[in-house]
Amino acid sequence: APASKMAALSGGGAPWRRGWLPALQLVRCGSKAVTRHWKAMHFQRQKLMAVTEYLAPRPAVPPRCLAPRKETLEEDNGYVRLLRRQVEEVFRDNRMIAVCQYNSMPGEDVVLMRHYLRKHNIEVKFVLNEIVRPVLSQSKYKNLLPLFVARNILLVSREAKAKEMLRVLKGVPQINLLGACIDDTILSRQGVENFAKLPLLEAAQGQTVGALALLPSQTSSLLQRGSAHLTALLDQHIHRLQAGETGSPAEPAPAQSSGAH
Amino acid sequence: RPRSEPPLCPPGPGGVAVPRAGLKKYVLPPDYSGITLPEKTKLKFMDKVPAVPKVRREPRRLRDIRGPARVATDFTQGQYGILALGGGYLHWGHFEMIRLTIGRAMDPKTMFAIWRVPAPYKPVTRKSLGHRMGGGKGPIDHYVTAVKSGRLVVEVGGRCEFGEVKPFLTQVAKKLPFPAVPVSRDGLQQMRREEEEKRLNNQNPWTFERVVTSNMLGMRKYLSPYDLQLKGRYWGKFFLKHRV
Repeated sequence: APASKMAALSGGGAPWRRGWLPALQLVRCGSKAVTRHWKAMHFQRQKLMAVTEYLAPRPAVPPRCLAPRKETLEEDNGYVRLLRRQVEEVFRDNRMIAVCQYNSMPGEDVVLMRHYLRKHNIEVKFVLNEIVRPVLSQSKYKNLLPLFVARNILLVSREAKAKEMLRVLKGVPQINLLGACIDDTILSRQGVENFAKLPLLEAAQGQTVGALALLPSQTSSLLQRGSAHLTALLDQHIHRLQAGETGSPAEPAPAQSSGAH
Repeated sequence: RPRSEPPLCPPGPGGVAVPRAGLKKYVLPPDYSGITLPEKTKLKFMDKVPAVPKVRREPRRLRDIRGPARVATDFTQGQYGILALGGGYLHWGHFEMIRLTIGRAMDPKTMFAIWRVPAPYKPVTRKSLGHRMGGGKGPIDHYVTAVKSGRLVVEVGGRCEFGEVKPFLTQVAKKLPFPAVPVSRDGLQQMRREEEEKRLNNQNPWTFERVVTSNMLGMRKYLSPYDLQLKGRYWGKFFLKHRV
């Protein structure tokens, strides 16, 4: 019986023995530290690994409930600055700026329209809203902001030729005039049509000058009216006398009429 | 995708026309001014057997697989590489696979690749098949290179982007005997930073390191003395990425 007990006990590890060192016993049975397969961990080690796992921080307010940080767009883009400068120049240099809605047009129609407008010295400019809006909001043209919403184009010109522009645009159904800024005056579509009906500035000026100069021009004729009337009456009288006396020599009436001048 | 702004003016009967395209942002091409290509851009051929083959058969010494790598953990010449996330042995077949795959996929005029592991130097013995135990140690069968976790295997560089290099590096990384990932310089820095952040913002007051160093609850009875350095992140040849 003691032999069998010894045999049975010495067969499998010896945990019953006091002072059991894992270094000695585990070398005998079990694999090495580094194995190709996933070596089974001691249960105590498993518990330790479970206890010492990573715990992520949990703030009181989850980050997805807070407002997202708006990433500020970089304005150092040189291209954006160039386009803004161009828009500012356009608004500074041109007298008439018309904003139109632009729907898709065939390419050749666009070219034709540009050609006709170019003949009247009107340029067509395509601008992006995201560039125009900041420029306008900082300049004096703030009231034009509601026009720059969807796809649009600018028709700019140094002279205010509204009539020719409207005529060309009438032939192009895809472009609708929204509003215009002529000589720093904002006009709606109706206003542009009324403006087109007005005569040209030079003609209006000429008319005004003519109307004003009408009275002074009449002054000299008014002053001369009396003497001219007298001269005319005397001439008539002379003619009547000459007609009455058929052969009598001419009176010195012309000397009298020349003295009246 | 940025959220749409509030409508600039109230929509009319036709609805609001959403702008389809904004200003095109021109991106400058990458600047490769500081990059010089070495003379031999392709990977060197690695020998199966070292020039002076070993006469004396060596013990297994599996500790060259265990734990974190101390050499070749950072980039030297290249910008992208394959990082080993576990320990293992690379033999000549692996070397040939890496060399040929990378050589096939890269452009030798604009890119270069270098080895970060030495040629096989460690002899591995094998007994002939079908024999019983005993009769001494077997003869040397082949040579291998030991790779620990955190070591770079190959480095690729030159006038190229990570996106161009990643496909064939992942292809190679999947075929290696240990888990591996393609990384760039920034990616590696990012990984290390994240690890550090994780270690710092861990809400668990009980860490493996703390338990082991102070031998709480007599845990060292069940742990190896190497766990003082390995700190629960390594188990055998495996690297436990999710720990601490």
